[in-house]
Amino acid sequence: MTGWWGIRCVWLRYFDVYRKSLFYSVVTTFVEPTLYLIAFGFGLGGIIQTVHVGDIEVSYRQFIFAGIVGQTILFQAFFEAAYGSFIRMYYQRVFQAIATTPITLSEVLWAELIWDASKATFASSAVLVIGTFMGDFNPIGAIIALPLCFACSFIFVGLGLFVAARSRTIEEISYPQYLLIFPMFLFCGIFFPMESLPKVLQWIAWALPLTSVVSLVRTLTLGLPFQIQALPILLIWLLVLIPWSRRAMTRRLIK
Amino acid sequence: MNCISGFYPATSGSVSILDTDVYSHPKHARMHLGVCAQEDTLDSDFTVLDQMVRYGTYFRVPVKEGRSRSLALLERFGLDGRRNDLVEQLSGGMRRRLQVARALVSQPKVLILDEPTTGLDPEVRRILWDVIAEERSRQVAVLLSTHYMEEAERLCDFVAILHQGRILDCASPSDLIAKHIGTGEVEEEIRKGVRWKRPPNLEDVYLKLTGSHLEQTA
Repeated sequence: MTGWWGIRCVWLRYFDVYRKSLFYSVVTTFVEPTLYLIAFGFGLGGIIQTVHVGDIEVSYRQFIFAGIVGQTILFQAFFEAAYGSFIRMYYQRVFQAIATTPITLSEVLWAELIWDASKATFASSAVLVIGTFMGDFNPIGAIIALPLCFACSFIFVGLGLFVAARSRTIEEISYPQYLLIFPMFLFCGIFFPMESLPKVLQWIAWALPLTSVVSLVRTLTLGLPFQIQALPILLIWLLVLIPWSRRAMTRRLIK
Repeated sequence: MNCISGFYPATSGSVSILDTDVYSHPKHARMHLGVCAQEDTLDSDFTVLDQMVRYGTYFRVPVKEGRSRSLALLERFGLDGRRNDLVEQLSGGMRRRLQVARALVSQPKVLILDEPTTGLDPEVRRILWDVIAEERSRQVAVLLSTHYMEEAERLCDFVAILHQGRILDCASPSDLIAKHIGTGEVEEEIRKGVRWKRPPNLEDVYLKLTGSHLEQTA
Protein backbone atom coordinates (compact mmCIF):
# COMPACT_ATOMS: atom_id res chain seq x y z
CA MET A 1 0.00 0.00 0.00
CA THR A 2 3.07 2.22 -0.07
CA GLY A 3 4.54 3.10 -3.42
CA TRP A 4 6.99 5.61 -4.82
CA TRP A 5 4.48 7.24 -7.12
CA GLY A 6 2.27 8.37 -4.24
CA ILE A 7 5.21 9.57 -2.16
CA ARG A 8 6.61 11.52 -5.11
CA CYS A 9 3.22 13.14 -5.78
CA VAL A 10 2.99 14.45 -2.22
CA TRP A 11 6.68 15.43 -2.08
CA LEU A 12 6.08 17.52 -5.21
CA ARG A 13 3.21 19.26 -3.45
CA TYR A 14 5.59 20.37 -0.71
CA PHE A 15 8.26 21.33 -3.21
CA ASP A 16 5.78 23.44 -5.20
CA VAL A 17 4.74 25.30 -2.06
CA TYR A 18 8.42 25.93 -1.34
CA ARG A 19 9.10 27.07 -4.91
CA LYS A 20 5.99 29.25 -5.12
CA SER A 21 7.07 31.36 -2.17
CA LEU A 22 10.74 31.18 -3.06
CA PHE A 23 11.80 34.39 -1.33
CA TYR A 24 10.18 33.35 1.95
CA SER A 25 11.60 29.85 1.59
CA VAL A 26 15.13 31.02 0.90
CA VAL A 27 15.06 33.49 3.79
CA THR A 28 13.73 30.91 6.27
CA THR A 29 16.06 28.17 5.05
CA PHE A 30 19.38 29.93 4.54
CA VAL A 31 19.46 33.10 6.61
CA GLU A 32 19.59 31.41 10.00
CA PRO A 33 22.63 29.17 9.35
CA THR A 34 24.41 32.08 7.64
CA LEU A 35 23.86 34.33 10.65
CA TYR A 36 25.25 31.65 12.95
CA LEU A 37 28.25 31.26 10.66
CA ILE A 38 29.01 34.97 10.75
CA ALA A 39 28.35 35.49 14.46
CA PHE A 40 30.26 32.48 15.76
CA GLY A 41 32.70 31.88 12.92
CA PHE A 42 33.97 35.43 12.72
CA GLY A 43 32.78 36.91 16.03
CA LEU A 44 33.82 34.19 18.42
CA GLY A 45 36.43 32.88 15.99
CA GLY A 46 38.18 36.23 16.30
CA ILE A 47 38.78 35.71 20.03
CA ILE A 48 39.38 31.98 20.13
CA GLN A 49 42.04 31.18 17.57
CA THR A 50 42.39 27.42 17.73
CA VAL A 51 40.82 24.34 19.28
CA HIS A 52 42.60 21.12 20.15
CA VAL A 53 40.74 17.89 19.61
CA GLY A 54 42.95 14.99 20.59
CA ASP A 55 46.27 15.70 18.92
CA ILE A 56 44.75 17.71 16.11
CA GLU A 57 44.57 21.48 16.07
CA VAL A 58 41.95 23.28 13.97
CA SER A 59 40.95 26.92 13.83
CA TYR A 60 37.88 27.79 15.89
CA ARG A 61 36.16 28.99 12.73
CA GLN A 62 36.62 25.55 11.13
CA PHE A 63 35.44 23.92 14.33
CA ILE A 64 32.30 26.05 14.60
CA PHE A 65 31.46 25.90 10.89
CA ALA A 66 31.34 22.10 11.06
CA GLY A 67 29.23 22.34 14.23
CA ILE A 68 26.79 24.65 12.50
CA VAL A 69 26.19 21.99 9.84
CA GLY A 70 24.79 19.86 12.68
CA GLN A 71 22.87 22.77 14.18
CA THR A 72 21.25 23.51 10.81
CA ILE A 73 20.07 19.93 10.45
CA LEU A 74 18.72 19.96 14.00
CA PHE A 75 16.73 23.18 13.72
CA GLN A 76 15.56 22.94 10.12
CA ALA A 77 14.49 19.31 10.43
CA PHE A 78 12.83 19.57 13.82
CA PHE A 79 10.99 22.84 13.29
CA GLU A 80 9.69 21.96 9.84
CA ALA A 81 8.51 18.54 11.01
CA ALA A 82 7.07 19.66 14.37
CA TYR A 83 5.38 22.96 13.51
CA GLY A 84 4.95 22.31 9.78
CA SER A 85 3.32 18.93 10.13
CA PHE A 86 1.18 20.10 13.06
CA ILE A 87 -0.19 22.87 10.86
CA ARG A 88 -0.73 20.50 7.94
CA MET A 89 -2.41 17.91 10.14
CA TYR A 90 -4.43 20.14 12.50
CA TYR A 91 -5.20 23.39 10.71
CA GLN A 92 -4.93 22.66 6.99
CA ARG A 93 -5.95 18.99 7.16
CA VAL A 94 -3.71 18.29 4.18
CA PHE A 95 -2.98 14.76 5.40
CA GLN A 96 -6.67 13.96 5.69
CA ALA A 97 -7.52 15.44 2.28
CA ILE A 98 -4.84 13.50 0.43
CA ALA A 99 -5.35 10.24 2.33
CA THR A 100 -8.88 9.84 0.94
CA THR A 101 -7.55 9.84 -2.64
CA PRO A 102 -5.67 6.87 -4.17
CA ILE A 103 -2.68 8.04 -2.12
CA THR A 104 -2.54 6.35 1.28
CA LEU A 105 -1.78 7.88 4.66
CA SER A 106 1.39 5.79 4.81
CA GLU A 107 2.61 7.47 1.62
CA VAL A 108 1.60 10.92 2.86
CA LEU A 109 3.65 10.42 6.03
CA TRP A 110 6.69 9.14 4.12
CA ALA A 111 6.46 12.19 1.85
CA GLU A 112 6.27 14.44 4.91
CA LEU A 113 9.39 12.85 6.42
CA ILE A 114 11.33 12.89 3.15
CA TRP A 115 10.35 16.48 2.37
CA ASP A 116 11.31 17.77 5.81
CA ALA A 117 14.63 15.94 5.55
CA SER A 118 15.17 17.35 2.05
CA LYS A 119 14.60 20.87 3.29
CA ALA A 120 17.06 20.40 6.15
CA THR A 121 19.59 19.01 3.67
CA PHE A 122 19.18 22.05 1.36
CA ALA A 123 19.94 24.29 4.31
CA SER A 124 22.93 22.28 5.53
CA SER A 125 24.32 22.20 1.99
CA ALA A 126 24.51 26.00 2.13
CA VAL A 127 26.78 25.75 5.18
CA LEU A 128 28.88 23.05 3.52
CA VAL A 129 29.30 25.20 0.39
CA ILE A 130 30.26 28.31 2.38
CA GLY A 131 32.69 26.30 4.55
CA THR A 132 34.30 24.77 1.47
CA PHE A 133 34.67 28.10 -0.36
CA MET A 134 36.15 29.70 2.75
CA GLY A 135 38.76 26.96 2.60
CA ASP A 136 37.73 25.59 5.98
CA PHE A 137 36.35 22.23 4.83
CA ASN A 138 37.94 19.43 2.91
CA PRO A 139 35.90 19.58 -0.35
CA ILE A 140 35.63 15.81 -0.81
CA GLY A 141 34.63 15.39 2.83
CA ALA A 142 31.98 18.09 2.39
CA ILE A 143 30.49 16.25 -0.59
CA ILE A 144 30.41 12.97 1.33
CA ALA A 145 28.86 14.81 4.29
CA LEU A 146 25.80 15.72 2.21
CA PRO A 147 24.19 12.24 2.10
CA LEU A 148 25.15 11.87 5.76
CA CYS A 149 23.23 15.09 6.51
CA PHE A 150 20.22 13.75 4.63
CA ALA A 151 20.25 10.50 6.61
CA CYS A 152 20.72 12.30 9.95
CA SER A 153 17.92 14.73 9.15
CA PHE A 154 15.48 11.84 9.44
CA ILE A 155 16.27 11.52 13.15
CA PHE A 156 15.21 15.09 13.93
CA VAL A 157 12.39 14.97 11.41
CA GLY A 158 11.11 11.82 13.11
CA LEU A 159 11.38 13.55 16.46
CA GLY A 160 9.44 16.54 15.10
CA LEU A 161 6.68 14.42 13.61
CA PHE A 162 6.42 12.44 16.84
CA VAL A 163 6.12 15.66 18.85
CA ALA A 164 3.49 17.04 16.45
CA ALA A 165 1.47 13.84 16.75
CA ARG A 166 1.58 13.90 20.54
CA SER A 167 0.92 17.63 21.07
CA ARG A 168 -2.69 18.55 21.70
CA THR A 169 -2.07 22.20 20.85
CA ILE A 170 0.65 23.91 18.87
CA GLU A 171 1.94 25.53 22.09
CA GLU A 172 2.79 22.12 23.54
CA ILE A 173 5.53 21.74 20.92
CA SER A 174 7.49 24.25 23.04
CA TYR A 175 8.11 21.64 25.77
CA PRO A 176 10.37 19.37 23.72
CA GLN A 177 11.75 22.44 22.00
CA TYR A 178 13.04 23.90 25.28
CA LEU A 179 13.73 20.64 27.09
CA LEU A 180 15.39 18.67 24.32
CA ILE A 181 16.21 20.68 21.20
CA PHE A 182 17.84 23.70 22.87
CA PRO A 183 19.89 21.54 25.30
CA MET A 184 21.12 19.52 22.31
CA PHE A 185 22.02 22.75 20.54
CA LEU A 186 24.06 23.90 23.53
CA PHE A 187 25.65 20.71 24.87
CA CYS A 188 26.24 18.41 21.91
CA GLY A 189 29.61 19.76 20.90
CA ILE A 190 28.65 22.50 18.44
CA PHE A 191 30.44 25.28 20.35
CA PHE A 192 33.14 23.48 22.30
CA PRO A 193 34.87 20.09 22.32
CA MET A 194 33.00 17.47 24.35
CA GLU A 195 36.08 16.96 26.56
CA SER A 196 35.42 20.36 28.19
CA LEU A 197 32.24 19.00 29.81
CA PRO A 198 32.09 17.02 33.10
CA LYS A 199 32.08 13.25 32.46
CA VAL A 200 28.40 12.83 33.40
CA LEU A 201 27.29 15.51 30.96
CA GLN A 202 29.48 13.94 28.29
CA TRP A 203 27.64 10.64 28.71
CA ILE A 204 24.25 12.35 28.50
CA ALA A 205 25.32 14.36 25.47
CA TRP A 206 26.56 11.24 23.71
CA ALA A 207 23.21 9.54 24.29
CA LEU A 208 21.51 12.37 22.38
CA PRO A 209 21.73 12.09 18.61
CA LEU A 210 23.25 15.50 17.78
CA THR A 211 26.67 14.73 19.32
CA SER A 212 27.16 11.86 16.89
CA VAL A 213 26.05 13.98 13.93
CA VAL A 214 28.49 16.77 14.80
CA SER A 215 31.29 14.26 15.40
CA LEU A 216 30.82 12.58 12.01
CA VAL A 217 30.58 15.92 10.17
CA ARG A 218 33.87 17.03 11.78
CA THR A 219 35.51 13.74 10.84
CA LEU A 220 34.53 14.21 7.20
CA THR A 221 35.05 17.94 6.77
CA LEU A 222 38.02 18.57 9.09
CA GLY A 223 39.63 15.14 9.39
CA LEU A 224 39.09 14.94 13.16
CA PRO A 225 39.32 11.43 14.72
CA PHE A 226 36.50 9.07 13.77
CA GLN A 227 34.45 8.18 16.85
CA ILE A 228 32.98 4.83 15.98
CA GLN A 229 30.20 4.90 18.59
CA ALA A 230 28.52 7.65 16.54
CA LEU A 231 27.30 5.16 13.93
CA PRO A 232 25.36 2.73 16.16
CA ILE A 233 23.94 5.65 18.20
CA LEU A 234 22.57 7.32 15.07
CA LEU A 235 21.29 4.05 13.70
CA ILE A 236 19.37 3.28 16.89
CA TRP A 237 17.77 6.73 16.98
CA LEU A 238 16.84 6.40 13.33
CA LEU A 239 15.34 2.94 13.67
CA VAL A 240 13.34 3.97 16.73
CA LEU A 241 12.12 7.41 15.73
CA ILE A 242 10.96 6.78 12.16
CA PRO A 243 8.48 3.97 12.97
CA TRP A 244 7.46 5.64 16.26
CA SER A 245 6.68 8.95 14.63
CA ARG A 246 4.71 7.33 11.81
CA ARG A 247 2.74 5.21 14.23
CA ALA A 248 2.02 8.16 16.53
CA MET A 249 0.76 10.32 13.67
CA THR A 250 -1.35 7.49 12.25
CA ARG A 251 -2.94 6.99 15.67
CA ARG A 252 -3.56 10.69 16.00
CA LEU A 253 -5.45 10.74 12.70
CA ILE A 254 -7.26 7.41 12.90
CA LYS A 255 -9.08 7.44 16.20
CA MET B 1 -17.91 8.23 6.22
CA ASN B 2 -14.26 7.74 7.13
CA CYS B 3 -14.75 3.98 7.01
CA ILE B 4 -16.33 4.17 3.58
CA SER B 5 -13.35 6.07 2.18
CA GLY B 6 -11.05 3.49 3.78
CA PHE B 7 -9.41 6.11 6.01
CA TYR B 8 -10.59 4.33 9.16
CA PRO B 9 -10.54 0.54 9.37
CA ALA B 10 -13.97 -1.01 9.91
CA THR B 11 -14.47 -2.41 13.41
CA SER B 12 -16.63 -5.11 11.85
CA GLY B 13 -17.83 -5.91 8.35
CA SER B 14 -16.26 -4.52 5.19
CA VAL B 15 -16.77 -1.79 2.61
CA SER B 16 -16.49 -2.40 -1.12
CA ILE B 17 -16.56 0.27 -3.78
CA LEU B 18 -17.45 -1.14 -7.20
CA ASP B 19 -16.51 -4.62 -5.94
CA THR B 20 -13.13 -3.58 -4.53
CA ASP B 21 -12.54 -3.73 -0.80
CA VAL B 22 -11.60 -0.21 0.19
CA TYR B 23 -9.51 -1.06 3.22
CA SER B 24 -7.41 -3.83 1.71
CA HIS B 25 -7.09 -2.16 -1.74
CA PRO B 26 -7.47 1.56 -1.04
CA LYS B 27 -5.49 2.71 -4.08
CA HIS B 28 -7.62 0.78 -6.51
CA ALA B 29 -10.95 1.38 -4.79
CA ARG B 30 -10.48 5.12 -4.28
CA MET B 31 -9.62 5.66 -7.94
CA HIS B 32 -13.37 5.90 -8.56
CA LEU B 33 -14.28 7.62 -5.32
CA GLY B 34 -14.84 11.34 -4.82
CA VAL B 35 -14.96 12.58 -1.24
CA CYS B 36 -16.12 15.90 0.13
CA ALA B 37 -15.43 15.75 3.85
CA GLN B 38 -17.57 17.51 6.43
CA GLU B 39 -14.69 19.70 7.57
CA ASP B 40 -12.77 22.12 5.38
CA THR B 41 -9.86 20.19 3.86
CA LEU B 42 -9.02 22.69 1.11
CA ASP B 43 -5.32 23.25 0.56
CA SER B 44 -4.75 26.82 1.69
CA ASP B 45 -1.25 26.87 0.16
CA PHE B 46 -2.64 26.88 -3.39
CA THR B 47 -5.03 28.95 -5.45
CA VAL B 48 -8.50 27.70 -6.37
CA LEU B 49 -7.50 26.40 -9.80
CA ASP B 50 -4.06 25.07 -8.79
CA GLN B 51 -5.41 22.96 -5.99
CA MET B 52 -8.04 21.38 -8.20
CA VAL B 53 -5.46 20.43 -10.83
CA ARG B 54 -3.14 19.16 -8.08
CA TYR B 55 -5.93 17.14 -6.50
CA GLY B 56 -6.50 15.57 -9.93
CA THR B 57 -2.89 14.44 -10.09
CA TYR B 58 -3.47 12.33 -6.95
CA PHE B 59 -5.88 10.38 -9.20
CA ARG B 60 -3.33 10.29 -12.03
CA VAL B 61 -5.29 12.86 -14.04
CA PRO B 62 -2.71 14.54 -16.34
CA VAL B 63 -2.19 18.24 -15.61
CA LYS B 64 -3.54 19.44 -18.96
CA GLU B 65 -6.65 17.30 -18.67
CA GLY B 66 -7.08 18.27 -15.00
CA ARG B 67 -6.87 21.93 -15.94
CA SER B 68 -9.60 21.76 -18.54
CA ARG B 69 -11.84 19.69 -16.24
CA SER B 70 -11.22 22.14 -13.40
CA LEU B 71 -12.07 25.18 -15.51
CA ALA B 72 -15.33 23.55 -16.60
CA LEU B 73 -16.19 22.65 -12.99
CA LEU B 74 -15.40 26.11 -11.69
CA GLU B 75 -17.78 27.55 -14.26
CA ARG B 76 -20.48 25.08 -13.26
CA PHE B 77 -20.05 26.04 -9.61
CA GLY B 78 -20.00 29.77 -10.30
CA LEU B 79 -16.39 30.08 -9.16
CA ASP B 80 -14.58 30.83 -12.42
CA GLY B 81 -14.03 34.44 -11.41
CA ARG B 82 -12.08 33.25 -8.36
CA ARG B 83 -9.73 30.78 -9.99
CA ASN B 84 -6.58 32.66 -9.03
CA ASP B 85 -7.65 33.44 -5.47
CA LEU B 86 -6.33 31.72 -2.40
CA VAL B 87 -8.76 29.75 -0.25
CA GLU B 88 -8.68 32.30 2.56
CA GLN B 89 -10.09 34.94 0.22
CA LEU B 90 -13.23 32.84 -0.33
CA SER B 91 -16.45 32.98 1.67
CA GLY B 92 -17.76 29.92 3.52
CA GLY B 93 -20.22 29.11 0.74
CA MET B 94 -17.53 29.37 -1.92
CA ARG B 95 -15.22 27.07 0.04
CA ARG B 96 -17.96 24.50 0.30
CA ARG B 97 -18.64 24.67 -3.43
CA LEU B 98 -14.94 24.42 -4.18
CA GLN B 99 -14.59 21.36 -2.01
CA VAL B 100 -17.43 19.62 -3.85
CA ALA B 101 -15.99 20.74 -7.21
CA ARG B 102 -12.58 19.40 -6.23
CA ALA B 103 -14.12 16.00 -5.45
CA LEU B 104 -15.40 15.89 -9.04
CA VAL B 105 -12.08 16.55 -10.82
CA SER B 106 -11.32 12.84 -10.93
CA GLN B 107 -14.77 12.11 -12.47
CA PRO B 108 -15.66 9.63 -9.75
CA LYS B 109 -18.25 6.90 -10.13
CA VAL B 110 -19.09 7.11 -6.44
CA LEU B 111 -19.36 10.46 -4.71
CA ILE B 112 -19.45 10.90 -0.94
CA LEU B 113 -20.77 14.23 0.29
CA ASP B 114 -20.66 14.62 4.05
CA GLU B 115 -23.11 17.36 5.02
CA PRO B 116 -22.26 19.48 1.98
CA THR B 117 -24.94 22.12 2.56
CA THR B 118 -24.69 22.70 6.31
CA GLY B 119 -24.78 26.40 7.08
CA LEU B 120 -25.18 27.51 3.47
CA ASP B 121 -27.58 30.17 2.21
CA PRO B 122 -30.49 29.04 -0.01
CA GLU B 123 -28.84 30.20 -3.23
CA VAL B 124 -25.63 28.26 -2.72
CA ARG B 125 -27.62 25.28 -1.56
CA ARG B 126 -29.55 25.34 -4.84
CA ILE B 127 -26.33 25.36 -6.85
CA LEU B 128 -25.14 22.27 -4.98
CA TRP B 129 -28.53 20.57 -5.34
CA ASP B 130 -28.41 21.12 -9.10
CA VAL B 131 -24.91 19.67 -9.29
CA ILE B 132 -25.92 16.63 -7.24
CA ALA B 133 -28.94 16.06 -9.48
CA GLU B 134 -26.74 16.38 -12.57
CA GLU B 135 -24.18 13.91 -11.25
CA ARG B 136 -26.97 11.50 -10.43
CA SER B 137 -28.30 11.73 -13.96
CA ARG B 138 -24.78 10.80 -15.16
CA GLN B 139 -25.07 7.51 -13.29
CA VAL B 140 -22.79 8.62 -10.46
CA ALA B 141 -23.77 7.01 -7.18
CA VAL B 142 -24.05 9.78 -4.61
CA LEU B 143 -23.89 9.10 -0.90
CA LEU B 144 -25.10 12.18 0.91
CA SER B 145 -25.31 12.78 4.62
CA THR B 146 -27.49 15.61 5.81
CA HIS B 147 -29.47 16.93 8.74
CA TYR B 148 -31.98 18.56 6.42
CA MET B 149 -34.84 16.16 5.77
CA GLU B 150 -36.19 18.41 3.05
CA GLU B 151 -32.90 17.96 1.22
CA ALA B 152 -32.94 14.18 1.61
CA GLU B 153 -36.54 13.99 0.45
CA ARG B 154 -35.78 16.10 -2.55
CA LEU B 155 -32.53 14.52 -3.75
CA CYS B 156 -32.42 10.92 -2.66
CA ASP B 157 -33.71 7.66 -4.11
CA PHE B 158 -33.04 5.92 -0.84
CA VAL B 159 -32.86 7.36 2.61
CA ALA B 160 -31.43 5.62 5.64
CA ILE B 161 -32.38 7.22 8.93
CA LEU B 162 -29.43 6.98 11.26
CA HIS B 163 -29.67 7.53 14.97
CA GLN B 164 -26.93 6.88 17.51
CA GLY B 165 -25.00 4.81 14.99
CA ARG B 166 -27.88 2.56 13.97
CA ILE B 167 -29.94 2.52 10.79
CA LEU B 168 -33.55 2.77 11.96
CA ASP B 169 -35.04 2.30 8.51
CA CYS B 170 -33.95 2.49 4.88
CA ALA B 171 -36.29 3.00 1.94
CA SER B 172 -37.34 5.60 -0.61
CA PRO B 173 -38.63 8.83 0.96
CA SER B 174 -42.20 8.22 -0.18
CA ASP B 175 -42.17 4.65 1.16
CA LEU B 176 -40.79 5.83 4.48
CA ILE B 177 -43.51 8.46 4.79
CA ALA B 178 -46.28 6.07 3.78
CA LYS B 179 -45.02 3.39 6.13
CA HIS B 180 -44.47 5.49 9.25
CA ILE B 181 -46.85 8.45 8.93
CA GLY B 182 -49.46 7.49 6.34
CA THR B 183 -50.74 9.42 3.35
CA GLY B 184 -53.28 11.71 5.00
CA GLU B 185 -52.55 15.28 6.05
CA VAL B 186 -50.86 15.94 9.34
CA GLU B 187 -51.82 18.68 11.71
CA GLU B 188 -49.14 20.45 13.69
CA GLU B 189 -49.30 23.19 16.27
CA ILE B 190 -46.46 25.42 15.10
CA ARG B 191 -47.09 28.09 17.77
CA LYS B 192 -49.53 28.19 20.62
CA GLY B 193 -52.97 28.42 19.08
CA VAL B 194 -51.70 28.31 15.48
CA ARG B 195 -52.38 24.96 13.84
CA TRP B 196 -51.16 23.97 10.45
CA LYS B 197 -52.39 21.26 8.13
CA ARG B 198 -49.92 19.95 5.59
CA PRO B 199 -48.91 16.78 3.75
CA PRO B 200 -46.58 14.53 5.77
CA ASN B 201 -42.85 14.77 5.11
CA LEU B 202 -39.61 13.01 5.88
CA GLU B 203 -38.98 15.15 8.94
CA ASP B 204 -42.10 13.66 10.53
CA VAL B 205 -40.64 10.22 9.90
CA TYR B 206 -37.31 11.20 11.38
CA LEU B 207 -38.91 12.68 14.48
CA LYS B 208 -41.19 9.72 14.93
CA LEU B 209 -38.44 7.14 14.52
CA THR B 210 -35.81 8.88 16.61
CA GLY B 211 -38.29 10.31 19.12
CA SER B 212 -39.71 6.93 20.02
CA HIS B 213 -36.16 5.72 20.31
CA LEU B 214 -35.32 8.49 22.73
CA GLU B 215 -38.31 7.59 24.89
CA GLN B 216 -37.06 4.04 25.04
CA THR B 217 -33.62 5.04 26.12
CA ALA B 218 -34.81 7.74 28.53
